Amino acid sequence: MNIADDNLIRLHDISKHYEMGSTLVRALDDISVEIQRGDWVSFIGSSGSGKSTFLNILGCLDRPTQGEYFLNGVYVEELGPNRLAEIRNREIGFIFQSFNLLPRATALGNVMQPLVYRRIGYRQRREMARQALDRVGLGDRVDHLPNQLSGGQRQRVAIARALVTEPSILLADEPTGNLDSQTSADIMQLFDQLHREGQTLILVTHEEDVAGLGDRVIELLDGKIIRDRRAGEPLH
Amino acid sequence: MFYVILESTRSALISILAHGLRSFLTTLGIVIGVASVIAVISLTQGMSAFIGESFSSLGSNSLTIQSYTPISEAMRGVRARLTPEDLELIERRAGGVASITPILYASRSSQVRYAAQTTFSQIMGTTYAYRDVAQAWVQSGRFIAESDNLTRRRVTVIGEKVRDDLGLPENPVNEYVELGGEWFKIIGLLEAKGDVMGFDQDDIVLVPYSTMRSLAGNQSQIDIQIQLSLSEQAEVDDVTRQLTALLRNAHDLEPDEDDDFRINTAEQLMETFDTIISMVTLVIGGIVSISLLVGGIGIMNIMLVSVTERTREIGICKAIGAKRLHILAQFLIEAMLLSLLGGLIGLALGYGLGTAISSSIDSFPPASIPLWAIALALGFSGFVGVLFGILPAAKAANLDPIDALRYE
Repeated sequence: MNIADDNLIRLHDISKHYEMGSTLVRALDDISVEIQRGDWVSFIGSSGSGKSTFLNILGCLDRPTQGEYFLNGVYVEELGPNRLAEIRNREIGFIFQSFNLLPRATALGNVMQPLVYRRIGYRQRREMARQALDRVGLGDRVDHLPNQLSGGQRQRVAIARALVTEPSILLADEPTGNLDSQTSADIMQLFDQLHREGQTLILVTHEEDVAGLGDRVIELLDGKIIRDRRAGEPLH
Repeated sequence: MFYVILESTRSALISILAHGLRSFLTTLGIVIGVASVIAVISLTQGMSAFIGESFSSLGSNSLTIQSYTPISEAMRGVRARLTPEDLELIERRAGGVASITPILYASRSSQVRYAAQTTFSQIMGTTYAYRDVAQAWVQSGRFIAESDNLTRRRVTVIGEKVRDDLGLPENPVNEYVELGGEWFKIIGLLEAKGDVMGFDQDDIVLVPYSTMRSLAGNQSQIDIQIQLSLSEQAEVDDVTRQLTALLRNAHDLEPDEDDDFRINTAEQLMETFDTIISMVTLVIGGIVSISLLVGGIGIMNIMLVSVTERTREIGICKAIGAKRLHILAQFLIEAMLLSLLGGLIGLALGYGLGTAISSSIDSFPPASIPLWAIALALGFSGFVGVLFGILPAAKAANLDPIDALRYE
């Protein structure tokens, strides 16, 4: 644990294998990546390329079969489930393709929820959640339930929920997958704005357009990194 | 920890209110269970309080001595007796006695007739002292006097119920009734006392003790009861000990032989009733609390459904930082709140039910709930909630976040 470098994320020879019947599925195969603070990195790959598994490991929801993962200087593999929950709460802001809002809570309630696990009092929680919603441009929709909001608005609530804990990284899984192109563009613009404010962003997508907006694009195929390039570089 | 409980309670309440009807139906089992427990307890407790009052009106400083034959003796044809000699002995030798009276129950027919009306009643031969010992006062006419006994007069004092049954006038004094084939003149009517546990205290016919003895013919072997009241400063235990010694001596009992009589105090009688009532309460309460368990299973069932339904939500919460404890507490507290809410509704309902029953049945004492019953009902329903909430809550807490997030 002698990690004192600038890398926010350091993955070393990460593999994830599943037993499926009698065959061994190598969802991830010896992946090594380093991501620096403030980067906007997009992982791109078709379905089955292992990008969801990769995201789960990055988000501390899953553990690799082998390999080392340091997040913000912490060797994650050694941690128990409760510490992992704390890491998810403090270091990571999840943004999902299907938004994953709590259906019975208002926009404000959804954004307040992660703060509950940080033992923050109700008034302060509400204040922080309001600010986060303001930041994503939803200050006037705080009391709406998810089903009263449009897709783009729901994703903004989800982003506010991810931001409210001031995480080290925002982890977005196909954030525009369920949105129309105009709304997608708005959301990506929001990401761009957050990136310029210094937020580390990790996007997983299969759309080249979306991936191309970041600093760096990493292509996955069959659980391996096949290409790691600056955004804007030609594909071939 | 307090913070977790507070927040879990907040979200549990939101969840319960969000499914108002379902929550209500879920908790219905608990509502019915607690309501029946409380109704039963409130009725029996009301009865017990009532009996306590009734017995204190009998006078707590009175003693009753009865002969007692163990069943094994009775099978051999031996019968213990209390005789008039025993009475005399006590009158002469025992201290601390304010008044004392023999009671001789009619040995044959207890039929009472007036004109064409016949009824059966408790016919007792006694003396003027019965009035003080049993707190029996006449509302019209007079009580049995000493001279009635000396001259074996055929006079009687009757209870309100007997008067009513026989269709006697409001003031039956100077009317004649037939007791066991002999005519008696009514000299007094007792004040109404009401009934205790189905025993009507107004269903009695009193005649002079010596008249009763003469009616019994020359049966030399009569068995009487002796009732006595204690003087102010006398201790029940002292007098009881003294009487026991006197009677054992008079009956020639060896030290290794058991008493062939029983000395009962009104208090003992009350305790006996109390024991019976607590037994009944316990048994019925036990049976009814099975319905609480059934209610608990209902809650567990719905909580399991709810966990499945909210699998994705649980996954989300875990992804944004919920620990096992948070999820566990949320579902456990939800189950407990549901159950407690049911307990509270059941408490109100049960009290209402008890009151309704006791007020709709005449002569039934008013219902009363002791505090311990409230605490017990709420404590038990909370316990049921925790007991049957653990399984669903543990299921929720142990969900794998990835699987839960993927759940459709």
